[in-house]
Amino acid sequence: MIELKNIEKYYANKGVKSYILRHVTTTIKQGEFVSIMGPSGAGKSTLLNILGMLEEPTYGEYNFMGEDVTAMNERKRIELYRNHIGFVFQAYHLIDEMTVAENIEAPLLYKKIPGSERKSRIADILDRFNMVAKKDLFPNQLSGGQQQLVGIARALVAQPSIILADEPTGNLQSVQAEQIMDLFKKLNEEENITILQVTHSERNAQYGNRILTIEDGVIKEDVKVSS
Amino acid sequence: MFKLNLKIALRNLWKNKSYTLINVMGLSIGMASCILIYVFINYQLSFDQSFVNKNRIYRVITKMDIDGVVDYSGGVPIPLAPAIREELPQIEKVAAIQKSGGIVKVDDVNGKERIKTNEDVYFAQPDFFEIFKVKWLSGNPMQSLQQPNTVTLTKETANRYFGNWQNALGKTIRFENTLDLKVSGIIDELPINSSFPLKIIISYATFPRSTNTSWRSLRTNSNCYVLLKEGVDEQEFDKALTQFSKKHYSDPKITGKRGNLLQPLSEIHKDERTMNFANQTTPMKSIIGLGIIGIFLLLTACINFINMATAQAIARSKEVGVRKVMGSSRKKLMIQFMSETTLITFISILLACVIAELSMPIVSNLMDTLVVFSFFSNAGIFVFIAILLLLVSFLAGFYPALIMSRFSPALAVKNKGIISAGVGSLVLRKTLMMVQFAITTLLIVGTSIVIWQMKYVREKPLGFNRESIAMVNLPYDSLSQTRYQLAKARILAIPGVKQVSLCNTAPSSALNHDTNFSYNSPVAADFTINTKFVDQDYFKTFGLQLIAGRNISKSDTLKEYVVNETLLKRLNITNPNEVLAKPLIVDGKKALIVGVVKDFNNVSLKETISPIVISSANSEYETLAIKLESTNVVQTMQSIEKEWKSIFTDGVYGASFLDDQINSYYQAERVTGVLFKLFAALIIFISFIGLFGLVSYVASQRTKEIAVRKVLGASTIELIRMLNSSFLRMVLISNLVAWPIAYLLAVKWLSNFVYRIELSVWPFVLAMCVSLLITIITVSLRSYKVTKANVIDALKYE
Repeated sequence: MIELKNIEKYYANKGVKSYILRHVTTTIKQGEFVSIMGPSGAGKSTLLNILGMLEEPTYGEYNFMGEDVTAMNERKRIELYRNHIGFVFQAYHLIDEMTVAENIEAPLLYKKIPGSERKSRIADILDRFNMVAKKDLFPNQLSGGQQQLVGIARALVAQPSIILADEPTGNLQSVQAEQIMDLFKKLNEEENITILQVTHSERNAQYGNRILTIEDGVIKEDVKVSS
Repeated sequence: MFKLNLKIALRNLWKNKSYTLINVMGLSIGMASCILIYVFINYQLSFDQSFVNKNRIYRVITKMDIDGVVDYSGGVPIPLAPAIREELPQIEKVAAIQKSGGIVKVDDVNGKERIKTNEDVYFAQPDFFEIFKVKWLSGNPMQSLQQPNTVTLTKETANRYFGNWQNALGKTIRFENTLDLKVSGIIDELPINSSFPLKIIISYATFPRSTNTSWRSLRTNSNCYVLLKEGVDEQEFDKALTQFSKKHYSDPKITGKRGNLLQPLSEIHKDERTMNFANQTTPMKSIIGLGIIGIFLLLTACINFINMATAQAIARSKEVGVRKVMGSSRKKLMIQFMSETTLITFISILLACVIAELSMPIVSNLMDTLVVFSFFSNAGIFVFIAILLLLVSFLAGFYPALIMSRFSPALAVKNKGIISAGVGSLVLRKTLMMVQFAITTLLIVGTSIVIWQMKYVREKPLGFNRESIAMVNLPYDSLSQTRYQLAKARILAIPGVKQVSLCNTAPSSALNHDTNFSYNSPVAADFTINTKFVDQDYFKTFGLQLIAGRNISKSDTLKEYVVNETLLKRLNITNPNEVLAKPLIVDGKKALIVGVVKDFNNVSLKETISPIVISSANSEYETLAIKLESTNVVQTMQSIEKEWKSIFTDGVYGASFLDDQINSYYQAERVTGVLFKLFAALIIFISFIGLFGLVSYVASQRTKEIAVRKVLGASTIELIRMLNSSFLRMVLISNLVAWPIAYLLAVKWLSNFVYRIELSVWPFVLAMCVSLLITIITVSLRSYKVTKANVIDALKYE
């Protein structure tokens, strides 16, 4: 599903190149649950941003579902966002002015899904996440864990084939964090959704089935998790 | 989608209530001013536009060239109309009309006097109403205005005189106690936005001088209107008119060169060179000036909005990022932000309409016009408001939308978007701010100069006493003339009256009579002289000073002349005693000069003092000048009125104060002054808001820097000073830009006045101080809050 070949990212400053990523080559298959780990500043988030097409690599080849992303125009990229990629952020990034239900509805609007189907999908997902009673609340009326659940619900409602999560539990307490990770595992196993998460936590990484360890911009380790 | 966007926009506005309030206030004030200016301009441009054939109607005016000094008059010699009718075939219709005025008396059925008023009347040829089509309720031009001693009234006038216009037909009204006029026609009221305030129209055949054949005498009140045949070119006709003028103005007694030309109907209200019957002109340049001020106001309001919106953008960068990764295109985001702007504009425009509607009476009072502002009477206003809505939404919304939608999602979700997107746009925003401040400076300089000059005009000694002098009119029929001396004696006896003088005009007057004269030479001098007819008490009443010779002695007819200093200067005479006892011929009448009076301003301070000759002539007096004690004025005036009415039983009493008359010369300047003050205040207010927005933006952008500096030990004062310095620099630059422009405009405006203040550096210094002060206050207020904020909050994330 994802193929990275020799991805490099550096910033040139007065002729000195400071590398963030070097020679990153890897393949991620449909249905995998990959955790990216490594110390601060190793380039984890940059790698995730490149995978999520929020940043462009300086060099290298990136194929998403067989298509070359680096050569893609904005319209095509927006298409991918709408249909294939769901984002989950550490700081949730819900839109403060919208209620829970409206936040979840937003991606469906961009996907131009008709009103009746939107309603049923939102009802469905609220039901699955046990949040029906909270649908008219605003984000600041929810706890962090609940906000992150909304964040995930929002990412899922568009039925993406991959979820990119940047430290999804970074701001959460451990009980809530466990809930979220359980949810990811369930989604991965039951619905075959590819999940890519950046995490600091060894425990969270164990929920997945593969761990990529990055140090100083280079992939140091690529191990399978035995469950 | 639209519904959701609208909902979010409303929630956003509600969340940032103070920003919203400031934005809405700035925009609505700006737009309300624009609406008012539009209504005013629209009203001015609509003058005389309601007549059919309006594009073929012209007034014939007269151009006078005396020694290179060109002057225009809206009047024509009386024989001009018949001559044009005879000689120029390009004309479809031509009509003479004469403005006059006098006492109109209406009796009731029993022959008792019902109404006695002083009215303007017009002597018009029937063709006048063939050129200007009006609605005839009864009669028609040919029937009603052909015979002598017939009169046509407007419906309202007829209602006023006879209770009901249907009753008016066949009744008589008496004009000037001598002429009985039979009502033979009723027309509908002329529109208020016309230069023809006709109420009483008397047939031209009744006009005593209607068959006058002199091409020499020219009166502003004798007008001639023509309707050109279809397809006749104005310029070609003007050529024919030049030929025509050459033929008719050959009389060698005519001073200077004269000729006639056409003035289009649409120009009559706008051409300040010529007067019209309504005594009201609004020159195109003031209309344009007002339009420019409107554009300025709108611009400052939009600049504000841009500054405020981009300042707010930081808070919304996260939303942009999230929306982008959810699959929103840039276009969609732009539409979203633009629709938010449109919403604010829409709210503001509703408010602006309310403000405009409420302030309409004040404005029309100020402009001395009756502007009617009603949403249902003027369809054009809807179009204007719609255009205003779109224009402001676009001007104010496009740039912020462009900036916000450009945020890179990767940076935006980490709240870093502003830093990269902000650098380039801050330059633009600062430029906009400087434009705003330059406009503010311009208006402050302008306002202070106008105020200074008007103060100077009010306080400058005019060379005569103008306080507590009442000017009371005199009836000028021959019977009343015999009672002038009696009136003078009786009024002088009233307690509270210090001096009384009979005269035709006050020393300074808007009504002037200039004529030819000769001194020490058989031929007339190459300039004219201003004549004043007064009695021997004139000098005492007005406190005029003689520099040579003596006052005129008591006489009912012309006996002696007193001249002014300016005349001597124009004749190159240095010793005033030289002219004493020399003969002077004015308008063909010869008498000796007995005195020279010290110069006094006989016209407004916009013009130089004329050469003046003063003499006595009972038949020319029109006014009683009464010098009053400054206490008990009201009571004294009542006694004067009572006395006056008992002497002139057939007359209509009218009085005014000289001070008010003189102040009325500067009505236009007074309006300019008030407008300047008003718009300066508005623009200062709007700029203040805008500055507040920009400071907020900069402060939030530099929150981290400020926090770090605080941790390093900077005091609040030092931080405020730091933030102030860059803004003060901007204000100084905009001052430097605005000064030359302000200087040029001020010089141009002051050149309207012959007597004017010296342009000093103070207005400019004042403008700078005011703008600096405003900046310091705003920046300090806003940045104090930022510097007081908790350091930890600013440094926590990163």
